[in-house]
Amino acid sequence: MNILVLLRMIPDVVEELEISNDGKTLDREFLRLIPNETDDHALEEALLLKERHGGKVTVVAPDAPELDDVLFACLAKGADRAVKISGVEPVMGGRAAARLMAQVLTTAPGLLPADLILTGVQSTEDLDGLMAPILSHLLQLPYVDNVTQVTADGPGKTVTAVKEFPSAVRAEFDVQLPAVLGIQAAEKPPRYVPVAKVRAVMKSQHLESAAAPAGVEAGQLEILQMAKPEPAEHAEMLAGDPAQVAGKICEILAARGVL
Amino acid sequence: MPDPATTQYFGLPGYVVLWILTLVAFYLFGIKVAYYVRTLGKARPEKRWDRIGERVGLVLTHVLGQRRLFNEPGIGIAHFLIFWAFVFYATSFFWNLVKGLVPILPIPYADDVGWMAFALEAFGVLALVGIVVAAVRRYILTPPRLERTYDATLILGLIALLLVTFLVGAAAKTRGAPGVYLWMWWAHMVTVLGFLAYLPYSKHMHLLAAPFGVFFSSLRPGAPPPASEGASRFEEFTWRELFSGLACAECGRCDRACPAFNSGFALSPKELVHKVKELVRAPGAGGKFLGEVVRPEEVWACTTCLSCMERCPVLNEHIPLVLEMRRHLVSQGEVETPLQQAMMNLNRYGNSFGQSPRARAKWTADLPFKIKDARKEPVEYLWVVGDYASYDPRVQTVTKATARVFQQAGLDFGILYEGEQNSGNDVRRTGEEGLFDVLRGKNLQAVAKARFEHVVTTDPHTYHALKNEYANGDGGWTGRNVLHSSELLERLLAEGKLSAHRRLDGVVTFHDPCYLGRYNGVYSPPRLVLNALGTKLREMPRNRRTAYCCGAGGGRIWMEDPPGVKERPAESRVREAAGLHGVNTLVVACPKDLVMFQDALKTTGLEGSLAVKDLIELVEEAAAPSERSDSHARA
Repeated sequence: MNILVLLRMIPDVVEELEISNDGKTLDREFLRLIPNETDDHALEEALLLKERHGGKVTVVAPDAPELDDVLFACLAKGADRAVKISGVEPVMGGRAAARLMAQVLTTAPGLLPADLILTGVQSTEDLDGLMAPILSHLLQLPYVDNVTQVTADGPGKTVTAVKEFPSAVRAEFDVQLPAVLGIQAAEKPPRYVPVAKVRAVMKSQHLESAAAPAGVEAGQLEILQMAKPEPAEHAEMLAGDPAQVAGKICEILAARGVL
Repeated sequence: MPDPATTQYFGLPGYVVLWILTLVAFYLFGIKVAYYVRTLGKARPEKRWDRIGERVGLVLTHVLGQRRLFNEPGIGIAHFLIFWAFVFYATSFFWNLVKGLVPILPIPYADDVGWMAFALEAFGVLALVGIVVAAVRRYILTPPRLERTYDATLILGLIALLLVTFLVGAAAKTRGAPGVYLWMWWAHMVTVLGFLAYLPYSKHMHLLAAPFGVFFSSLRPGAPPPASEGASRFEEFTWRELFSGLACAECGRCDRACPAFNSGFALSPKELVHKVKELVRAPGAGGKFLGEVVRPEEVWACTTCLSCMERCPVLNEHIPLVLEMRRHLVSQGEVETPLQQAMMNLNRYGNSFGQSPRARAKWTADLPFKIKDARKEPVEYLWVVGDYASYDPRVQTVTKATARVFQQAGLDFGILYEGEQNSGNDVRRTGEEGLFDVLRGKNLQAVAKARFEHVVTTDPHTYHALKNEYANGDGGWTGRNVLHSSELLERLLAEGKLSAHRRLDGVVTFHDPCYLGRYNGVYSPPRLVLNALGTKLREMPRNRRTAYCCGAGGGRIWMEDPPGVKERPAESRVREAAGLHGVNTLVVACPKDLVMFQDALKTTGLEGSLAVKDLIELVEEAAAPSERSDSHARA
């Protein structure tokens, strides 16, 4: 099975985010970029499929600071190829990422055809989870999102994808291949790759590069302004014994028309 | 008396019978010993031929002196007597064997020589007493983790038999009973030859292996094994790691000392070494060694507290076995999620908390003075703060107290601010050797341009790494004196740079951190500090070398406790402290201890009756700030 994993680097919110002077972008000086967590799960699911059914896993990621280390770690975990898309902005929204990925996958040699394209269902840069569905539309492939398990035990060119709905409802989809799947979580937590193994891979393997095609539209949405959340009014603490507090809660709810 | 070797038996001279018996016994003994030597030859090499003088010293102390056996005095004395009886009886046996095999040799039998006969009789009687003590201990007053095996019974019986046959024979000789004498002479020789043949097949292999095990033991116990990608099967262990299996006498001291075992974790250090013995006996039998014979949860349960190795009479090395197997599990990515998270955090942020490196020195913001940045200006003392002291809000109070005390003592000190990273001591103990290299590299890079004379830290784990494992390869931070804060405080108090204006008059007890005590032998400085402050120290039953681990070491602090754990190590320890008459404060000298014991006070409900305080808090209390100006004026 030939699997592509699309990986994005996102700002690490462990560091305090600052807005740069233009008021539209994040200040890069202190920005640390880390791999998107659900993309990491997508890679894990891909590696599990490879271990069970054989095949090849290729990781594709738009270039960003510290991406090389991340891609070598992917190779050390068991991915066969790692391709970075050079000449792009490191952080981009879902639509832009989808267009870029669609262009690269169709133009760069040796990426398509693939049986499965796995990626994280969302990222902090793409909270609506638009990248994967737009990409599937552009590539004219079927798409299932919020996937937590992929099995390929059946005969023929299908996989079974388990999708999580709210309220602990699960559904199984038979998906015709090739397909795009938005991974919510892998079947088990992403594996650990020891530092020594990453170092060994750095010596024995190399990263491939694919140039971003010129003229990729940035997307229809433009960021006009970024602002830090402003602290609102302080919370009102309800004092008194439980009966009094309960009474006050009722009053508040009644005043707002809830009761 | 007739010469047993020249007397005829069923038409055969005695020496012919002896030749036959000897050849059979030596053959059985020889093939097994040759097998062990050949088998261990296939293991990974490990150099243990350095510093011969020290090694001979170890043999004198631990083999001839039997030092560690006395940590359990009753059986220690009994074993000492049996051991020395063995030395004389073995000498006598080989002496008599030579004479018996070649009767024309112009030498007497050993027991015909006055002093030897005396020694044999004296030690024979004493050792019989020892055998009785050993038997009572094994069968009536059995300590935990000592097993009543068939093997042990057989060995005790054989020793008793060879002693009795000799003593009865000696009596027969003085009373002029040649028939009895001949019977006893043969019974004794046959018993010893039988013992010899059985030895390498039994738990008494330790008698043969232990002296070599002691000679080739680590001169820095607790040091990580030589570079490897870990071990999961026979050939991946070093010969010395495997040798522990042969030297083990199954006495159970390690289990009795092990915090993981006593808390009901999967690990039994004794079982682990026994499994290694089985591995050497039959490599490849019983399934995959790591995975089936030894389960990963056993390997992860170890806190690397060093109690097992500290107690082991034959200087076996349990922790290197654990570390080799952890390295293998890490190399396979088999790491439980919370530990994996800690490793990722250490790699990405340089701390296990997953917090921003820039927040490392946030605790300094509340101080009334600015701490020097050792990267920018020269300092006398470089203070390596460590993760818990920097990031854990409960420990930050102590960290600030440390800064105030250093300031009060007029110390010229500085920190590395966000340039510091976790020292890597504990991650190394989880088997993630590569990550340790990364962290060490970053710390060495951070201080590359710093100018300082000494290094000080409040964290024993950091202390151990910086002191012993931070040069290129193993060894200390080259050319720098690494101090634990308790050592520095002791010095400052002794030199009068700090003085206890308010003498504290409470009764306290002190917990020895594993990486300060057992790993580095620092026992006195914290006690001297407590003494200088005026406190009365009441020791816990388990103190100094036998101090009980808090359960956090070896990366355990990042792992989850398995279900079914009985009493956690920290809970056992705070109960031990609370049980001391008149003691209301448990003094610690390790940031992790503070956290572990404060938690344990809550889970044991001892919060009201015992307080956990860091040594530095007491120092600050005693060196009352109101009189600070006076002390400075005097200085």
